[in-house]
Amino acid sequence: MTHMTELSSAPPPPYVAEHHEPSWREGLKTGTPTLFGIGAWGLVVGIAMVKSGLTVPQALGMTLLVFAGSAQLAALPLIASHSPIWVIFATAFVVNLRFVIFSALLAPHFAQLPWRKRFVLGYVAGDMTVAMFLQKYPSEAPQVGKLSYLKGLLYPNWGAWQVGSIAGIFLGSTVPTEWGLGFAGTLAIICVMIPLVAGRPALCGVLVAGLVSVLAAGLPYKLGLLLAVLVGMLTSMAIEEGIDKWRKHHG
Amino acid sequence: MADWEIWLVIGVLALATAATRSSFWLVGQHITIPKRVQEMLRYAPACALAAIVAPDLVLADGHALLDLSNLKLVSGIVATIFYLLRRNMLQTIVFGMAFYTALRLIHVF
Repeated sequence: MTHMTELSSAPPPPYVAEHHEPSWREGLKTGTPTLFGIGAWGLVVGIAMVKSGLTVPQALGMTLLVFAGSAQLAALPLIASHSPIWVIFATAFVVNLRFVIFSALLAPHFAQLPWRKRFVLGYVAGDMTVAMFLQKYPSEAPQVGKLSYLKGLLYPNWGAWQVGSIAGIFLGSTVPTEWGLGFAGTLAIICVMIPLVAGRPALCGVLVAGLVSVLAAGLPYKLGLLLAVLVGMLTSMAIEEGIDKWRKHHG
Repeated sequence: MADWEIWLVIGVLALATAATRSSFWLVGQHITIPKRVQEMLRYAPACALAAIVAPDLVLADGHALLDLSNLKLVSGIVATIFYLLRRNMLQTIVFGMAFYTALRLIHVF
């Protein structure tokens, strides 16, 4: 990452970084069916941003700079209730933690690229693109067209999100509040959450987290939220540990 | 919040995106994550999303409302079942909003 290593490291092998038209097209084709859903999800977040009181420039800045729908939706009620900035950061960070796993899976494929490229690729790699990429390239070995395939997935995904989101921002200011369109954001979060609840420990953790967040909703600075995440997470881990132990004894 | 505070929040949120999405691309090509930390990473996001959604569905004016008069709760449960059956986000949002709007306008409960 430093200048020294940047200078001393060999240039990227051309076969990974080189543009490879068929792979780019294939990535685009694989990702296309998801673009409509991504655009709709962007639309929902765009509307929610404006409905929660952000101005149009603020909402545009948020969608272009942050580019993380669930973290944005999580932050909006916290902004509206004047929560401290560190609580907002902590909440968004926790919601984003799933990306750490994705980036750990994806990054080794492109270790040879210059750091600026790696930074940008990581920044725009959302939930679905990672899964689709790993389906096609399970091995980390360098292959022709890998980068082009990834770009074919990532860039249209980014574009669909931004188009939907910007449409939502301008649409949101024209739709009356009584329609309750903010509720669409809640429904969207449910749809993002359910696939993450794989297995019994995760289910228990989610139920406990929901219960604690309701019971602790009165705590100042939205600390109930962070408390709920912590208790839910520990519940999941304890149950997984318990299941492991039980298997060792009885399996 | 003042305008500059919102922009500060936006900056901080962008930092949260970079820290989680780009960190491994920059540093940890072959760092293996310990099992315990992996568990935390796996469970935390679902818990966080549940903690955001639950009060939204259950609380009305700061009090828990656990009957059919809570339209958001009813619609949220129905939408969850719909998503489990169809596994499609877009359809679920449209269906959930339509269901919620119908309840709101028809005053069934």
